[in-house]
Amino acid sequence: MTFRRLMMTPIFFFILLFFSPVVSFGGTPTESVKDTTDKIIAIVSDPVLKTPEKKEEKARLIRAAVDERFNWKEMSRRTLARHWAKRTDQEKKEFIDLFGKLLERTYLERVEGYSGEKVLYINEVVDGKYGIVSVKIVTEKDTEISVRYKVKKKGENWLVYDISIEGVSLINNYRKQFNSIIVRSSYKELVGKLREKVGK
Amino acid sequence: MTVLECCSGDPVANRNTVLMGGHTLTHSLTGVPVFFIFAFLFLFFWLSLAWGGVEISSPVKVENPYYSNTEAHEITGPHSTGDRFLIGEPVGSGLDLKMADLQGSQKDPLPDKEPEEQVQGEEEDWMDEEDAQSPLPDPLEPMNRAFYHFNDKLYFWFLKPVGIGYETVFPLFARVSIRNFFSNLMMPVRAISCLLQGKFKGVGIELTRFMVNTSAGFFGLQDVAKIALDMPLQDEDLGQTLAFYGIGPGFYLTLPFLGPTTLRGAVGWGGQAFLNPLNYIFEDWFPYLFARSFEIVNNTSLRIGEYEALKEASLDPYIAMRDAFYQYRLSQIEK
Repeated sequence: MTFRRLMMTPIFFFILLFFSPVVSFGGTPTESVKDTTDKIIAIVSDPVLKTPEKKEEKARLIRAAVDERFNWKEMSRRTLARHWAKRTDQEKKEFIDLFGKLLERTYLERVEGYSGEKVLYINEVVDGKYGIVSVKIVTEKDTEISVRYKVKKKGENWLVYDISIEGVSLINNYRKQFNSIIVRSSYKELVGKLREKVGK
Repeated sequence: MTVLECCSGDPVANRNTVLMGGHTLTHSLTGVPVFFIFAFLFLFFWLSLAWGGVEISSPVKVENPYYSNTEAHEITGPHSTGDRFLIGEPVGSGLDLKMADLQGSQKDPLPDKEPEEQVQGEEEDWMDEEDAQSPLPDPLEPMNRAFYHFNDKLYFWFLKPVGIGYETVFPLFARVSIRNFFSNLMMPVRAISCLLQGKFKGVGIELTRFMVNTSAGFFGLQDVAKIALDMPLQDEDLGQTLAFYGIGPGFYLTLPFLGPTTLRGAVGWGGQAFLNPLNYIFEDWFPYLFARSFEIVNNTSLRIGEYEALKEASLDPYIAMRDAFYQYRLSQIEK
């Protein structure tokens, strides 16, 4: 009896060890968003990177952190919406690249002005492979900005596909703009404007 | 008329002369009626607090996130149209009731999502998102664009330089306090909007906020109510009240000096002019305009960079502004 118990204990622990990582591996959406946010805050508030010479390196580091959390393809697909299906694979690739750069640049500019704002994680809703992480940013001007990250599970990771700031969805906003440009002129015109904006 | 004069004579006669003599409220406020007004306000806020439930929930409180979230999906979420039908259906027939029980016993918080995702392909889920939001009509686009450019130039050539100059003179603390002061003055707009929408707790919060911030917060310079009592500002206005009663937005409008709004919003602004205490405090147009400009410059100095960011990030700033305004408005109305 004691022998059996002795045998069972390691097996039990082995099972525990084996199964627990499966549950917690990818983390929750909040953990994912928090992980990236903390990384970016660490980069932005790093005094070593604050000098003008290090600006390039800082941008590169932020870009790397953002890249692994944002799903550029999903974002592009949702922004182009019904125009997405009409594009060739080559065009899709080009668009993902351009749009990703535009978003990165916008995000970089917003993040660069970071001055000790507090980020509070308010709520999280998970629905299958979709999730929403609600965040509140408290600025030094005593205003609260509510931000919602919409995430979708890809493999083991939760990747961001839309950000809503005070109820204004970034993707919806771009969709309206892009649709208007495509309808009034053409897709070529849109790509031209995107290139111009990104400075390529 | 001074306070002494007012109090020495017959109060009713005094009030009548004041009411007949001028259209301002300031003089009548200094007399005996001030007691009645405050007594009424106190009674009113007490009653509304009792009516609306005394416990004031903090904004962080999470109660059944799933259901609060489906509401949000009706406007912006990825699975919008399907949600309502699938939630409503199981209660219908006997079989459905059994199904509902079954789903309930499984304790699946999101029972309706599975079939939908199977039907819906990967490529299609943007459709709901696009259709869920009925677009805001913009028949006056050429005019709106012209006014948009006017406001754009007004900002870059006048408001922004003045705001930057102002920023260097006044410290952040002072500017935030001045913003709080003007925001505190606008209490009647928010309280009445809450009242008209039946948000009695909101009315109570607004009146309490006004009393606390005006007294303990030094005439509203400090937002004590939010910090100490956890009573945040109730973001309501008459435009949202009209929306609450099912009045549509009409169409998009950009007005010179005033910025983006809708036909409904413009009507709301018209009504709010009567609720704005600044209109009653100043008899002349000049000091009113001065106070208003001061408020605008002060608030602009706190928001420098926001418009630039929007403009910088967009390919068509006019459309970006129109959509951002509309999405923001929808989220305000939803609350």
